[in-house]
Amino acid sequence: MNTSPLLGTIVFLPLFGALAALLYWHNERTCRLLALTVMLADLVLVLFLFTLTPHFREPAGGNWLRVEDFSWMDALGIRFTLALDGISLMLILLTTVIGALTVLISWNEIKEHVAAFHFFLLAMMTGVLGVFLAMDVFLFYLFWELQSIPMFFLIGIWGHERRIYAAVKFALFTISGSLVMFLALLGLHLLHARQSGETTFALHQLIQTSFNLPLELTFFAAFALAFAIKIPMFPLHTWLPDAHTEAPTAGSVILAGLLLKTGVYALLRFAFPLFPHAAQLFTPLLLILGLTGIFYAGWIALAQTDLKRLVAYSSISHMGLIIVGIAVWNLTTLSGSLLQMINHGITTSALFILIGMLDERLHTRRLSDLGGLWKTLPVWSGFFLFFSLASIGLPGLNNFVGEMLILIGTFTRQPWAAAAGFIGLLLTVVYVMRMLRESIWGEARISPGIADLTGRELTILIPLTVGALWLGLHPGPALELFGTALTVPDLVKGLPILTP
Amino acid sequence: MKPVLFLLLSFPLLGALLVSLIGRHLSRRAVETIACTAVAASFILALTAFLLSGQKAYSLTLARWFAAGSFQVGLDLYYDPLAAVMALMVTFVSSLVHLYSVGYMRYDNGYIRYFCFLNLFVFAMLVIVTAGNLVFLYLGWETVGLCSYALIGFWYEKPEAANAGAKAFVVTRLGDVAFGIAIAICWVTLGHLSVSGIHDSAAGIDASRAGIIGCFLFLAAIGKSAQLPLSVWLPDAMAGPTPVSALIHAATMVTAGVYLLMRFFPVIQASMPLMAVIACVGILTICFGALGALIQKDIKRILAYSTISQVGYMFLALGAGDVAGSLFHLIAHAFFKSLLFLGAGCIIQALHEEQDIFRMGGGLRQKMPQLFWLFLAGTAALGAFPLTAGFFSKDRILLAVFLQPQAGYKLLWVIASMAAMITPLYAFRLFIIVFFGKSQSPSGPAKASPTSVPDVMTRVLWPLAFFSVFLGFLNLPLNWAGKEWLAQYLAAVPGSAMELHASSKMESAMQLGSALLTIIMVIVACIYYGTRVESVETGTETLLSKMQALFRNGFYLDRLYQTRITAPYRAAAGLLWQKVDAGWLDAGLNQSARSFLTLAETLRLWTTGRVSRYVSMMVAGFALILCSLTLAWWYLLI
Repeated sequence: MNTSPLLGTIVFLPLFGALAALLYWHNERTCRLLALTVMLADLVLVLFLFTLTPHFREPAGGNWLRVEDFSWMDALGIRFTLALDGISLMLILLTTVIGALTVLISWNEIKEHVAAFHFFLLAMMTGVLGVFLAMDVFLFYLFWELQSIPMFFLIGIWGHERRIYAAVKFALFTISGSLVMFLALLGLHLLHARQSGETTFALHQLIQTSFNLPLELTFFAAFALAFAIKIPMFPLHTWLPDAHTEAPTAGSVILAGLLLKTGVYALLRFAFPLFPHAAQLFTPLLLILGLTGIFYAGWIALAQTDLKRLVAYSSISHMGLIIVGIAVWNLTTLSGSLLQMINHGITTSALFILIGMLDERLHTRRLSDLGGLWKTLPVWSGFFLFFSLASIGLPGLNNFVGEMLILIGTFTRQPWAAAAGFIGLLLTVVYVMRMLRESIWGEARISPGIADLTGRELTILIPLTVGALWLGLHPGPALELFGTALTVPDLVKGLPILTP
Repeated sequence: MKPVLFLLLSFPLLGALLVSLIGRHLSRRAVETIACTAVAASFILALTAFLLSGQKAYSLTLARWFAAGSFQVGLDLYYDPLAAVMALMVTFVSSLVHLYSVGYMRYDNGYIRYFCFLNLFVFAMLVIVTAGNLVFLYLGWETVGLCSYALIGFWYEKPEAANAGAKAFVVTRLGDVAFGIAIAICWVTLGHLSVSGIHDSAAGIDASRAGIIGCFLFLAAIGKSAQLPLSVWLPDAMAGPTPVSALIHAATMVTAGVYLLMRFFPVIQASMPLMAVIACVGILTICFGALGALIQKDIKRILAYSTISQVGYMFLALGAGDVAGSLFHLIAHAFFKSLLFLGAGCIIQALHEEQDIFRMGGGLRQKMPQLFWLFLAGTAALGAFPLTAGFFSKDRILLAVFLQPQAGYKLLWVIASMAAMITPLYAFRLFIIVFFGKSQSPSGPAKASPTSVPDVMTRVLWPLAFFSVFLGFLNLPLNWAGKEWLAQYLAAVPGSAMELHASSKMESAMQLGSALLTIIMVIVACIYYGTRVESVETGTETLLSKMQALFRNGFYLDRLYQTRITAPYRAAAGLLWQKVDAGWLDAGLNQSARSFLTLAETLRLWTTGRVSRYVSMMVAGFALILCSLTLAWWYLLI
């Protein structure tokens, strides 16, 4: 099983890059180039992983593409275990692409403490990649913390006016979530050690633990709380609009594109498999909270005056649908939710990137200051229209496929929830139409003479555009990757994946 | 067949891609040429497919799209006589509208955006027509909605145009929610989404299940086809360029809803109550549109209300189970209504963007003689003047309604016949006021004399005028020694085989009756509108003026939605944000964080600096930790 530590390299390459960036603190350009090179190299390594076919049945009878297991802190039962299946593969692809793009996004926007910025950025990438690959629960926890802390600094140092408030809020929410999870994690470890006599944090072994129901419910609640805060699930979402509004563009992009996804991923990979009975009891609640989130955030998004805040609320609304897919838990909805995670990562990141580009030019994001942008910035407006249409689920673009799979799959089990979900899509149309009406259409209020997108900016947007079209028109390969990973006999003990 | 259909779809898509991606680097002439050629090529392919196919139905798959678990969707096509006729009509009218647009948009700088969306629209419309499964059809369905949105709001700097685009998108999207649910129900109850599969299983499903599926499809159709109660977007959509109104908001997209129901008619047919509902919505919309058209002043709004009304006839025909009659009227309407819109476009441009028929100065008969005859052809067909296309198509619908055995349909027939008398009235009102009206209008001085419009704009109207007049021969009734060619051609399409069992005598009597009524109404219109100018607003609230205001404002439906739905929804969004999200939820969570801070402040008081105090605190702390660990340990063990 132990081969060359390819996954380990992919995870830690950004961290080495981060340390190297600190060495070049005096040369900003080198820092940027270094960070970009590191992320692109990582991307190449990830692309290489696509040549693999699943052939590992262990651990836990999975359809693993690659498993790397090294001893680490044996006395405590902590091992350095990374494993890759189709789900992780798509998510680390998204991570490295977004990672490379964020370096490009920050090229002109970040002018102070450039080395430190890239240090935090790259360290965060290691955290996110680790979360998506770790199969040792303790290791997972370490990566989980590693991805949060740099974000605190990104918002707090390079953010906008109310950055300290937003950063502290972000930190308090995240830490209180992960603290509770950590306690439950230790409890789980002790309980398992008690039952089997083995000290281990390995996921596939901890899955074997048997609980009495109250304890299982408590543990599940503790895990789910940490993940629900990250997703964020209604009513724990209030940190997100502030964090998005105050974060620099790169921060918003990573937040929307990656950090929120880690919450859903962890729910799917850890919380549900570890505590299947509790999870089953909790699914109605998840379903209701997911649906509430769709409507609640979708409704509030209509009232927003700040573009970034509007997209932040839309992000909460979209995540609600993904939660619905997880809660219904059949092959169609899970495939849909996983695909929708990638889709949301592309679409919402692109919208945040575009808003960032606008902010750099006009120094405003208020809808009342905009209008008629098509006249002055036609290329920017074209992209903005494109990604707005993707986010309302126009067929042929990426979000549609995910939404359709989630809702059709939901309909087989919960027709009313699915019908509500379809209606929820209408709310998205309403606020997106208003956003377009007041930004790119209407009378031009911006003085002409502002330059349209540059080559660097097009370089950022074109991969996302291609991704949106690719996943909208030919999502087959991605869905196959998910399908293979999901049809594992006991991905979830006692809660088999229901095929409709 | 596969390559033909593939190319039929790809040409307009390719045109749209070329125009949008490299249009900036090409000359204006090149962009226009690409756009027109793409659609013309599509027309030739539609003709080829029509000639090749005979009366067969083809199901084929272009590519796989997505699949998860047992759910699979491909880019499937389904081509049968129904699709063939629609594809011919769509590509033919589109080609003419593209040519016309070259003239109409000659001074506009947004021509790249215009032709890109217009080409994309043709592609999407053809997807609707030839789609082989519901999800692919939905792709076309949404994409025509997008193109309609972008083209209504084409002059986005005008607030009313930008608003109208968004409104059209949201209102039609309301229907699309139902479309999505229909897809889900089809998948769950029937197990497949393909057109042929749904046709096959329609025979076996019970009426209630068919009724549910059909009901959601019908809701989707209502949105797209601007039927009551979702008709409010279409009059506003006239803010777009006139060729767009002709193509999208008269000939093709608004009839897509009718086509959807025709496509899945075996399902619709299985539920009698649903058929009755469709007929009733149709008849209400016919009256609503006709009364609205009778009183409008804006030439495009008259035509828009008229479209709503005419599409209502198509729904009525479906409600009476007559697919061939519905399609016949759909095709006829596509020709005469696009002719009228394009003719109106000529007038509007010649009169420097004047759209009020009372301010057109009248007397256009001398100034634009060619257009006079063209417009007359369109008006006669719309008014169902004997022997024109509209006459035969409308008559067939009335006959089909009359022949339905249920008593309720007789009442529908009476109302439909009465509404059919209003049609010539408003059609000739428009015609007479525009071409013969008095030049001294009370509402303002007449505009300067008309300028000329490019030849291409009038030339493309001739084929449309030809079909408006002579298309009736496509489906001549049996008592005319006709063979009902269209109905025969469609006979193989599931759900559309319908014999109108009427004696030749009865048919002739009905035709004679409606011909006489129409001629009388035309004469009435000529006398009434020919001799008077626009009524002066007296300011007194008579019953008549109230009625007029009611019709002019579309029965205040729009205002109702504005005040009862849109405004409260917006206000509630603000309240939800400020009061609930920020004021309650966020503040509550912040407060709990702050209470920890208060706790910490209290704890800080204990840092007194006395070592003995610290030691005792430490001991207490250790004791606490040990106790809790023991407790936890004990709990875990049990």
